Amino acid sequence: MGKIGLTTTVPVEVIYAAGETPIDLNNIFITASDAMKRVEDAELAGFPRNVCGWIKGLYSSALLDPEIRRIIAVTQGDCSNTHALMETWEVEGIDIIPFAFPYDGDPDMLRLQMDKLIAALGTTWEGVKEQKRRLDQVRALAWEIDRLTWEENRVRGFENHLYQVSCSDFNGDPERFAREMEEFIQEARQRESLAERNLSQGRKKAREVRLGFIGVPPIFPEMYDFIEEQGARVVFNEVQRQFSMPFPTEDIVEQYRRYTYPYQVFQRIEDIRCEGERRQLDGIIHYTQSFCYRQIEDLIIRKKLDYPILTLEGENPTGLDARSKMRIESFLSMLKE
Amino acid sequence: MPREVKMSMQTICGIDLGSRSVKIALMQSPTESDSLEIKRLERLDTIRFYREYGRKHDGKLVVNFEALGLPEVDSLVSTGYGRNTLELAGGEAIPELKAHVLGAVHQTGLKDFTLVDLGGQDSKIIQVRRGKMIDFLTNDKCAASSGRYLENMANILDLSLEELGQYADAPVELNSTCAVFGESELIGKIVEGYPIKELAAGVNATIVKRILPLLRSFEGEVLVFTGGVAHNQAVTRLLQEGTGKRVIIPQEPQYNGAIGCCIKGSEASD
Repeated sequence: MGKIGLTTTVPVEVIYAAGETPIDLNNIFITASDAMKRVEDAELAGFPRNVCGWIKGLYSSALLDPEIRRIIAVTQGDCSNTHALMETWEVEGIDIIPFAFPYDGDPDMLRLQMDKLIAALGTTWEGVKEQKRRLDQVRALAWEIDRLTWEENRVRGFENHLYQVSCSDFNGDPERFAREMEEFIQEARQRESLAERNLSQGRKKAREVRLGFIGVPPIFPEMYDFIEEQGARVVFNEVQRQFSMPFPTEDIVEQYRRYTYPYQVFQRIEDIRCEGERRQLDGIIHYTQSFCYRQIEDLIIRKKLDYPILTLEGENPTGLDARSKMRIESFLSMLKE
Repeated sequence: MPREVKMSMQTICGIDLGSRSVKIALMQSPTESDSLEIKRLERLDTIRFYREYGRKHDGKLVVNFEALGLPEVDSLVSTGYGRNTLELAGGEAIPELKAHVLGAVHQTGLKDFTLVDLGGQDSKIIQVRRGKMIDFLTNDKCAASSGRYLENMANILDLSLEELGQYADAPVELNSTCAVFGESELIGKIVEGYPIKELAAGVNATIVKRILPLLRSFEGEVLVFTGGVAHNQAVTRLLQEGTGKRVIIPQEPQYNGAIGCCIKGSEASD
């Protein structure tokens, strides 16, 4: 059983069916204590300064782990920087398996892509479907954590982020990850409601501000705690939630078709609108990565969504900078008025 | 400071810890009345301010007001870029955009407008409705549309900031996205023989060109223009032409944030 790296979420059932261990390179990059050094190493190797920090972090992270000999890279449905990333890895002797989410979500094209992935890893549809049943049980725990976040207000924004984002690879061990989540759920259920925590500053009574966080996961997760110090909480992590595939369906092709992240922005906006209403959001933070094509989509999001929106930009894993703090603070003070 | 006993005349100090300069406003109001009067305005270079008058104590910034020649005041309110890294001891700190909105509402008497604040490093656009902020955009990652850019370019052209601000006609085309590369671009234009007037106009037009896309999504007929850049007449004119909106510059554009702090201080003590 070997490790297979991922550049973003792919049909992970196929990897488990092949008896391999998926490693989401994003997760090992951002949790590394030397994350910034990994970005700098990629720059020393020749990656331009004005390229996404995630791409550079992924590049170095894959090369640092000698056990990662193969990587499934998403060539459509994620950014085109990935193409050059694949080629630079190939030069370093890593096997690349491309995977493309069809832009229009065409089910036949998607099935064909999954067919090819199944063939490349030498497994079967039967095995894949069995893995779906296995992983859906683990996903159900992540859904419960999400529900505890917005409905019972017992889970913090960062915790919500962490468990859902980990559903891209289940930390390489679904059963162990499931046990971790079970323990967490037990503990969280005992907690007091966070919405009723002491939020008053001085004499004024305050209500917790409920935020949605949309866009790719932040390169500065410290943001969640900062938001909570200001009397607000993220009760919706859009893309992280998508990683947990919160759509009960038996059909695995349909599951990856309903997954919104790799397709048109309009499908995402529909999902955000629906969850925003359900979770009673006061405002939305649209996070974009510096130099990312998704910064262009900000203009569509602002046009189509009827919420106060703060567009926040992150570049490198160096913590939440003073300017971003200033902007979050001003946004929250605006929402509180 | 601040002292405990209130007298009939209230003195409030507002401090805006900016990236290039620290602005201090002292305002007074008879407690009975709403009207606040400006008593003193002071501007110090940021680096000098921290080096000569500030020290860190228990994670907070302690300012030597005596050395600054400031009297005792009833309340102290601060804002600015520095406040997230270092909070001013002995006073309340308020978010920057809030201070700017309060200052602009006080200075103009308007309730509905778009505030354009162009400072040393920061550009802020704030939509104000019924005296409250309802939306905003700020620059990030790049400060090429800021006062610092004007300072550098004036320096290369050997003009004072005031002189630079006189020229808006026949601007030379400057395209560099980066303010540092913009310097060599400008030098190139000097070599090509363009007159100073057109070069200066080009610099002013560049600032406006970077601000217009940010303003695009903001409605409203009136722009209130603040920050140090508001002293530049050419930028003001080009902004007016580019947006087709009325541009109002308050009496003290550069002290707008510090004045806003005073307003906050007077509200709190009501």
